[in-house]
Amino acid sequence: MTRHNRPPAGAIVAFVIVATAAITASADAQSADPTDAGKAVFKRANCVGCHKWHGNGGGGYGGDALSLRKTELTREQIIETIGCGRPGTGMPFFTRGAYDSVKCYDMSREDVGGRIPPEANTFLRPSDVEAVADYVIAHIKGEREPSYSECVKFFGDTSRVCDIYKAQQQPTVSQTTNSGQSK
Amino acid sequence: MTNFTRRKPSLRTAMLATVAAVATICALPAKAADEVTPERLLNADKEPGNWLHHHKDFSATRFSNLSEINKGNVKNLKVAWTMHLGGVEGGGIWTHGGLEGTPIVENGMMYVTDGWGSVYKIDTHGGKGTLLWKMDPKTDHDWAGAVACCGVDNRGVALWGNLVISHTLDGRLIATNKDNGQVAWQRQVADPNKGEVITGAPLIVKNMAITGVAGAEYGIRGWIAATDLASQKEVWRTHTIPGKGESGHETWKDDKNSAASGGGSTWVTGSYDPATNTLIWGIGNPGPDWDNEYRPGDNLYTDSSLALDADTGKIKWHYQHTPNDPYDYDSVAEHVLVDIPGPNGPRKLALEADRNGFAYAVDRTTGKFVWGLPFVKKVTWTKGLDAETGKPVEYDPNKPVQTYVAAVTPSRTNLETDFCPGNMGGKNWPPTAYNPDLKLWYIPVIESCNRIKVEVMTPEKLKPREFWTGGGPSQPVRITGSVTAIDVTTGKVAGKFETPFPNLGGVLATPDLVFSGQPSGEVMALDAKSLEKLWEFNTGGGVNAPPMTFSVDGKQYVAILVGLGGAWDKWFIDATPELKRMQPGSMLYVFSL
Repeated sequence: MTRHNRPPAGAIVAFVIVATAAITASADAQSADPTDAGKAVFKRANCVGCHKWHGNGGGGYGGDALSLRKTELTREQIIETIGCGRPGTGMPFFTRGAYDSVKCYDMSREDVGGRIPPEANTFLRPSDVEAVADYVIAHIKGEREPSYSECVKFFGDTSRVCDIYKAQQQPTVSQTTNSGQSK
Repeated sequence: MTNFTRRKPSLRTAMLATVAAVATICALPAKAADEVTPERLLNADKEPGNWLHHHKDFSATRFSNLSEINKGNVKNLKVAWTMHLGGVEGGGIWTHGGLEGTPIVENGMMYVTDGWGSVYKIDTHGGKGTLLWKMDPKTDHDWAGAVACCGVDNRGVALWGNLVISHTLDGRLIATNKDNGQVAWQRQVADPNKGEVITGAPLIVKNMAITGVAGAEYGIRGWIAATDLASQKEVWRTHTIPGKGESGHETWKDDKNSAASGGGSTWVTGSYDPATNTLIWGIGNPGPDWDNEYRPGDNLYTDSSLALDADTGKIKWHYQHTPNDPYDYDSVAEHVLVDIPGPNGPRKLALEADRNGFAYAVDRTTGKFVWGLPFVKKVTWTKGLDAETGKPVEYDPNKPVQTYVAAVTPSRTNLETDFCPGNMGGKNWPPTAYNPDLKLWYIPVIESCNRIKVEVMTPEKLKPREFWTGGGPSQPVRITGSVTAIDVTTGKVAGKFETPFPNLGGVLATPDLVFSGQPSGEVMALDAKSLEKLWEFNTGGGVNAPPMTFSVDGKQYVAILVGLGGAWDKWFIDATPELKRMQPGSMLYVFSL
């Protein structure tokens, strides 16, 4: 009886595998971020080229890409800025037909004249523009200084690109200790 | 059963046997004649068919006396073969890589790199190119590409013993077995966590590899380092910004420790004078680039020519071109070592064509200024050089912050301004060439002006791996180029061949020809005396690398890498709108008669 009640070893293994898979799948489902598609656009459309992965942009060779962390633009304004670029700056327009068939800031190509922004290397569909705007709002706008966990979330853990944020977190502790001692 | 099992070779044994057989076959062609010894490197000019050094020889002449291709027949030059390479993928802030390298050729075997530092060995025998191996160093794209100010670049390899010595953008020095392409060893020399990357080719002196670093736009403190190739250990590392207590530290007069992030990169391969065992190396701009009030003082040894003892790295002399630089006028260029007849015997000169638009000759024994002249058509930042000292005439050693021609100079009171040459130069990294028979020195010129917007910097803005430039450039004015010849005996311009686009590739000199290229695709040959164009071929890709020449099977070839990368198509393209059409690419072209 006992023997019959005990499930065969193979069945236990199978159960464990299925159970593990189910748990993993549910964990994935929990961690799946609805703005992942927007993050992919952020990379593919080369937003990182000027705004950097962390969105802080900054001066330097790249000109003056504004900080998306400090931006006060609303979702609608971000969408318009991506689609139409910023006249008179290096921020390109990502919508096909901007200033022609698509109205931008109530200006036609003639109105904007020489201040027309550069055309992006990649045109984005309206759904892509919305997705990247949602990603910026969810993960960049309003955030403070970039952190190790944010960096790893962006790049994964195969590159050493995030190491400095890890290093920055550790010395902060020892610096506090040191300054405490010196006082 | 047992016996049978024993006789049957296991999979492991079979694999090992195959590996051993392949290793034996691969090892066979390695002849002692192909060992690159320090003696061969010293006498590189005695191997006319080879191109053993990045700049052809220790004097950085990029002159070959091969003359099968000459001004009489160059019109018949045609493509012999081509080869597609890789490395165009992006990483960090870059959408794609490019090719800036100079091929190295030894006994018919060519070694080239792509922007991410993969090394390709190509057999050039038989009028064709055969790829023998590719060593991919698996460069960490995002780690390095995010702090490469000016593109995904690698300028080539060097040879030592039976090894190919190369750098990667993520800061490694790699030794690869020449025969089989296997990495023999590697060493981390630069640290991208500090904003340091490597784009230059190594210089091999004796048994050392000399490495320069890039990163002055990211707040590094520059250096030159020597690695003993036998022990793989560092022999010396000399910082280009003197530390506390060292001579020159007093030229950083602020109270913010600006010297610690003062720049002074060394990303172009230097030259070597064996007679005095002296390395002569160009030093880059101070940081932050455009806010010079942040760093009052002359800011040694930025924007300088620096002479170092090759064995110890000890500084012998320096000559500074643009003290307290507010323009981003690197003096990082190669120095061409030439001897010309003078009233009291031969004058031993080091020639440098600077980003600031002036060509300089200094005495390479003492570092004293000999002559200087503008090689660009338009200079607005200074009225000229002092005839005695070679310093800009407005330079005042008692002023902590230099303003030069103040009306055009970026400063905290002149926050947006245009000046010429623009911050790319003048002359950038693309190398010059020198014809010792004609005593003509050929400069690949960027004829430019551009606009700088200054950002006032504060210590809180200094962050690892973030730009530390104090502003940024824009391009309101079209930029063109030229090949400009200087008569080294007189220090005067001998000719100028103007081009519609800037020269982003550099120059090769042969007895009666000069070869160069354009980012719009053309490779061309000019008459060495008149600079008249004698031949041109459109490669269909942006030329961003220097031509070189070699011979194999008794026949002369001209080779050039083609694939526009670097800084131009990201930061400077508005000055050359037609170049927006140029597609990323990665291709080797080889020409012959």
